[in-house]
Amino acid sequence: MSAIHQFLPTFASRDAIGTHALHARRILRGMGLESEIYAEGIPRPGRRQARPYRSFGRRPTPGGTWLLYQSSTGSAVADFIRARPEPKLVNYHNITTASLFAPWEPHVAVECREGRRQLREMAGEVELGIAVSSFNEAELRQAGYRDTAVAPVLVDLDGADVEPDPEVLARLGRAKRDGGSDWLFVGRVAPHKCQHDVVRALAAYRRLYDPHARLHLVGGAGSGAYVSMLERYVAALGLAGAVTLTGSVPAAALRSYFRSADVFVCLSEHEGFCVPIVEAMRLSLPVVAFSSTAVPETVAGAGVLLEAKDPATVAAAVSRVLTDGALRTQLVEAGVRRAADFSLDRSARRFTDVIGKFLADQGA
Amino acid sequence: MTDVIDHRRLLDEIDAEVRRRRASGDLPADFERELDLAFARFAPVHAIGDDFDQVVERAEQSAFVDVLAPTQSAQPLVGHVKRLIRKAIIWEVRYVAQQVSGFSAAITRAVRLLGRRVDALEEVAPPPARLRAAGATAASLDAGRWGPTVVAALEGVSGRVLHAECGDGALVTLLADAGFDAYGVDPVEQAAPAGVEVRTDEALDHLDALPDGALGALVLSGCVERLPVGALARLAVVAAAKVAAGGRVVVLSADPRGWERGRSPVEADLASGRPLRSDTWVHLLGAQQLQATVAAEFAVPDDETLQPVPGADPALAANISRLNELLFPPASYAVVATRR
Repeated sequence: MSAIHQFLPTFASRDAIGTHALHARRILRGMGLESEIYAEGIPRPGRRQARPYRSFGRRPTPGGTWLLYQSSTGSAVADFIRARPEPKLVNYHNITTASLFAPWEPHVAVECREGRRQLREMAGEVELGIAVSSFNEAELRQAGYRDTAVAPVLVDLDGADVEPDPEVLARLGRAKRDGGSDWLFVGRVAPHKCQHDVVRALAAYRRLYDPHARLHLVGGAGSGAYVSMLERYVAALGLAGAVTLTGSVPAAALRSYFRSADVFVCLSEHEGFCVPIVEAMRLSLPVVAFSSTAVPETVAGAGVLLEAKDPATVAAAVSRVLTDGALRTQLVEAGVRRAADFSLDRSARRFTDVIGKFLADQGA
Repeated sequence: MTDVIDHRRLLDEIDAEVRRRRASGDLPADFERELDLAFARFAPVHAIGDDFDQVVERAEQSAFVDVLAPTQSAQPLVGHVKRLIRKAIIWEVRYVAQQVSGFSAAITRAVRLLGRRVDALEEVAPPPARLRAAGATAASLDAGRWGPTVVAALEGVSGRVLHAECGDGALVTLLADAGFDAYGVDPVEQAAPAGVEVRTDEALDHLDALPDGALGALVLSGCVERLPVGALARLAVVAAAKVAAGGRVVVLSADPRGWERGRSPVEADLASGRPLRSDTWVHLLGAQQLQATVAAEFAVPDDETLQPVPGADPALAANISRLNELLFPPASYAVVATRR
């Protein structure tokens, strides 16, 4: 039997790449292939799902085994599989531009640079580069990958239909009774996600349109230094009562935030795909986003895509979305349609097609 | 299903709303600056951009070394141990910290003084960007007059031909009609003729981004009359590097002795640079191993010069002729240089 085993720098069973790897394993096994997940870092909730990459062993595996590297940062895992004799594939989720991290977390910037170096050096050794967006595919091409394909990130948007956490929902509802709209952004709190720009925009919005507006920044800490700055920045602007940094939350609580929010605002400088935008669209939340990297491709006209993100412009865009009922309806309907493009069924079919064609080309 | 969203119109309306809010005073001019300053107080120095004052202010804040390390701990015993250690070594830490703080304070003070000197220097010789905003206009070129000279100069050239600064693209059009693969750049965005490639960019910035030897020929105008002399010297070096072997560099410029006549007082007074004489371009390009010559000179039109007096004494006619030579040197010239 043939096998495609996946290798990740870190396997976190609840993050986008972790769930992608789990779905990929299920699909690969469904295609009659052996498939396991190997990683360097395996936080506790994922320990039953993945194995330490060193346990893969030193001996070459039998013919018909491919190694699929989930590339998202620099890692010893990349060097490990490069040294292996088995043919390789890369699934590219994008690597954050190092300069965005450098002032805040120099060691992460080093990892990002390392990741891009590894990506370039693997180009000649990889049979197929699979990108989760056309934006990422262009980067693969630029890095020297000749055979590439696009297959969207595997995410179970319907699985997001868990029941909202009633306590969180009630708390958000109580705040809403006092008036004011609720802004939401979901993503790791990290410099390239630019949560500080969302805070700035909220400050302008409260001054211009709605003094009771609130912002919920949902996501775990991607940079301690950035989180610390953000907390102090929020306090200095007098927004401590209006901006909530929730940290990482369970799926039910996340569902509550999506349900309570009035608008999803994404001002990231760097996204290789941006799953939370698709989740927001799937859950009928209008999206206002800054047009950077892969965001325009993900939004595809189903949200308000801004060419500038100065606070006044973002505030005016959000105000328009929240006060223009017809526009809001259009955005919600377009968003739901766009999210359907990334349903797990469709993405899984695309992933299956890409892998199936690859195996056929290999004569497997 | 509802209608398709007209995103362009929506963005224009959002933009108009922002402008309306700013004009009405709802959003004071310093509001966003205050947001920036608050961000700069907490962000790492590399994340706050290139604002000189903010960076120096941050350096001054960081110049003081706090010798009192935090001693809090969730475990009472650990906190106690930390306090003991701090007490035991504070005299040495303070001794070192005072020297480091003193050194840092001296450095930041020196940077402040240097900043003031640069400010003073910029008052005497303002940076080009500030002057362009004050009074410069889009480059213009009489393609009809220069066209034949340039076409002749480019005979036998293959590869892309760049015209910088090309103004409205008239010379680019003429070169394209003559069979050259021509395009233009100009710092001022303007509508180009249909089918003509004109990019909005500074000449030097655009040339810097090109690989060496990328061009078959380079035609320079406009920028050669307004850039400071240092930038012109660099332009000669960059231009020589960007043309391939056998390629040409053509400089179309006003003569400095007559340059002011064709300009408005504001433009002439605020220009950060002046054109060079043709011999200077021959020298600069020759220094880059290009074979350079003055290919054409255009005189001041006759109706702008002193006219001979019919039947006048020959001595008077000779004086008028001499005065014309002194008062009206060639208005403009073309220097053509070939890369060997």
